[in-house]
Amino acid sequence: MIADLLELLVHGLTLGSMYAMVAAGLALMLGVARLINFAHGEFFMLGAYVFWFAYRELDVPYPLAGLLAPAVMILFGMVYQRTVIRAILPHSWHVQLIATLATSIVLTNLAIIVFGTQPKEVPTALSSRILDIGGLRMAWQRVLVLAAALVIFWALHRFVTRTRAGRAMRAMSQNREACAVVGVDVQRVAMVAFAVSAALAAAAAALVSPLFNIFPDMGTGLTLKAFAAVVTGGFGYVNGAIAASFLIGVTESFAGSYVSYAYKDAFAFVIMIAVLLWRPQGLFGRRIGI
Amino acid sequence: MAPGQQRYVVHVLIFTALFAALALSYDLVVGHVGSLSLAHPAFFGVGAYTAAILSTRAAWPFAADLAAAVVAAGLVAALAGVPLFRLVEHAFAVGTLGFALVAWIVATNWVEVTRGPLCITGIPKPVVGVPGGPALAIATLPAYYWLALAALGVVLVLYRLLTTFRLGRAFHAVRDNEVLAASAGIDPLRYRMLAFTIGGALAGGIGALYVHYLSVMCPEEMTVALTVNLLVIVFLGGVGTMRGVLVGAVLFTALPEVLRLAPTWRLVIYGALLLVIVVRSPEGLEGLVRRRASAR
Amino acid sequence: MALLEIRGLVKRFLGVTAVDAVDLTVERGELVSLIGPNGSGKTTLFNCVTGYLASDAGHVAFDGRTVTRAAPHRVARLGISRTFQQVSVFGRLTALENLLVFLQQHQEEDFFARLVRTRRVRRLEADAIARARTLLDLVGLGARADAPAGSLSYGQRKLLAFAAALMPDPELLLLDEPAAAVNPTMINQMKDHILGLHRQGKTVLLVEHNMDVVMDVSQRIVVLDHGQKIAEGTPDAIRRDPRVIEAYFGR
Repeated sequence: MIADLLELLVHGLTLGSMYAMVAAGLALMLGVARLINFAHGEFFMLGAYVFWFAYRELDVPYPLAGLLAPAVMILFGMVYQRTVIRAILPHSWHVQLIATLATSIVLTNLAIIVFGTQPKEVPTALSSRILDIGGLRMAWQRVLVLAAALVIFWALHRFVTRTRAGRAMRAMSQNREACAVVGVDVQRVAMVAFAVSAALAAAAAALVSPLFNIFPDMGTGLTLKAFAAVVTGGFGYVNGAIAASFLIGVTESFAGSYVSYAYKDAFAFVIMIAVLLWRPQGLFGRRIGI
Repeated sequence: MAPGQQRYVVHVLIFTALFAALALSYDLVVGHVGSLSLAHPAFFGVGAYTAAILSTRAAWPFAADLAAAVVAAGLVAALAGVPLFRLVEHAFAVGTLGFALVAWIVATNWVEVTRGPLCITGIPKPVVGVPGGPALAIATLPAYYWLALAALGVVLVLYRLLTTFRLGRAFHAVRDNEVLAASAGIDPLRYRMLAFTIGGALAGGIGALYVHYLSVMCPEEMTVALTVNLLVIVFLGGVGTMRGVLVGAVLFTALPEVLRLAPTWRLVIYGALLLVIVVRSPEGLEGLVRRRASAR
Repeated sequence: MALLEIRGLVKRFLGVTAVDAVDLTVERGELVSLIGPNGSGKTTLFNCVTGYLASDAGHVAFDGRTVTRAAPHRVARLGISRTFQQVSVFGRLTALENLLVFLQQHQEEDFFARLVRTRRVRRLEADAIARARTLLDLVGLGARADAPAGSLSYGQRKLLAFAAALMPDPELLLLDEPAAAVNPTMINQMKDHILGLHRQGKTVLLVEHNMDVVMDVSQRIVVLDHGQKIAEGTPDAIRRDPRVIEAYFGR
């Protein structure tokens, strides 16, 4: 019984890690560019396919393929910022939202055309090896996901608080105009933010793909859940989004088991709506800043 | 024209009329009060399922299930609007998209009511007529074409009445400057809710006509693909303009049908077009035409 | 009974007290100015009175009715019109339509009557159009009636916003810096309009930085500093008040 509960908790934390890596990137872009990137789930999806291609088709060893995915997606994130984001930044939020949504549709359907709708499986040596701690059984891959997530969030925190680029991002998220005035290269900082966000999404993809399957239209639902986490955690506040992601992941895991598995994907939105009605500023409400 | 071809043309015309009406109902919200809702497929779906279930399981007559579809969709829109309109701008858009997603999840999984992926089949052809008087079965394609056209006519008249004169002015004031509108005595939330509810109710009615035409309703009819379709029609045609939305509906319903594009390619092309047009000319083709005209 | 009565109004932002227990009354027919250095809480006070900000404490009554924390559109319909410091108009409506918006909610708001355009509503609309044209002529925008408001110049938009605030024939008019950022000719025009309103017996509460305008038009001046009322009196008394001189020039 206790082991069952712990297993659900571990599953929830794994899901939470995935959502958190995606949501943190979304919050970062929202903070720095004041923009919601509807194509962010597609960063995850493309990262997963890059990983699949390297690992299954080119037989690159897992650790290397796992690093290759974020590396390729960093480039993609930079190109995306340079082309699409630059073009839409001067426009109203309507235009920005529709443009990123359009990008998401294009990427999803191109992925269907290129890779087909058949899910890709990418089991690793770790995904079938089971760790057994006194009856609590979990795949080693989950241990890896949780450990890697901790390291990644620690690194992200250091990056945002200690590095020049990270501090510039925080400053920009609080006051764009002032940043431009004191000589922060706003475009460069935005590009770094998109690169980091893309890398986070791809890292999440490389970590969790061995547990779940890869399919072309997994991005949209993920964007929405990550956004639910961003809203729940306090608009654009990265740490809040990470915490809310874990809340959503764990809720989904338990509710999926005890309430209804079929409706598990709806819980994130139920949480979001409930939080908004109760605390419109989000659980960890901070109006400005990442 | 061979009979098969002729039937195909009529079929495309019916689809175009229904999508034009649906796009106009969507434009009431997006174009006239400026709330970027992505929830429209949910209201379309509520209406479609209401009509499908009532006509197959309860054998309701067409007029009654159509009315029920309008009321049910309007009610759902009004109830959903209460929490959703606490969100502003982007958050509203994402919240409505989340709502549409939840509606789709429910349609897929609530098998006892919707039959889920098995779809509701055998939805009867509509019969119109006054109680006690002669009844007219809409069983042929041309008859359905006239019915779709009549529905489009009703939506056009309502659209016109709502978006001009005093109501339209109040809607546009809220869209252009919410703070100033309040200082003019307009309750912005009231007008947003009004457009959202009426738009949702109309979408529900069109959903009912749609399933009576296809005689089958599946959860796939209310996915995000429908939202994209509507965004393309409204934003490429000309947001907030009747002519623009009609042109958009003809271009982006009839053309892909005639070209027989595969759905995935169609979405790739739609997405790319949407991206380009929305960045180059946010008011849509209507704006492009106007700009060209004023440049002369 | 005073037309506008503010008692002990308090508004705090993140620990900063922007309006600190301010009392202010405006009698019917009076022309009162509210002055003070930047950030002294004048606009915040306006926003609390008109419902755009929820005050933290205090009481606001208009014509004997409590309006504390009423929604902006309710305050407007009771007969308080206001203008904004940042010029604001409905950019995609024409100049004429801009004015019509400001009257229609006061005349009727029945959804179905509007939808089917009953004869009564059409008559009200005709009256509104006539009034709007008169006001447009008054501020010199008669020729631009059908131009989209977004296409007007800055000064013209400011005049349009002023005319719009007059549309419902309000009991009380709150003007937030009507003379800011416009050229000297237009400042004089504004001054004349404000004095004209006063002569018609309108009640006006004015926030203004331009001291010439304030001293010329006001009957009474209230001075705010750091959210507190530091002085109140006739223009002559205020000119000589040491606390006012200190607040403006002491730093």
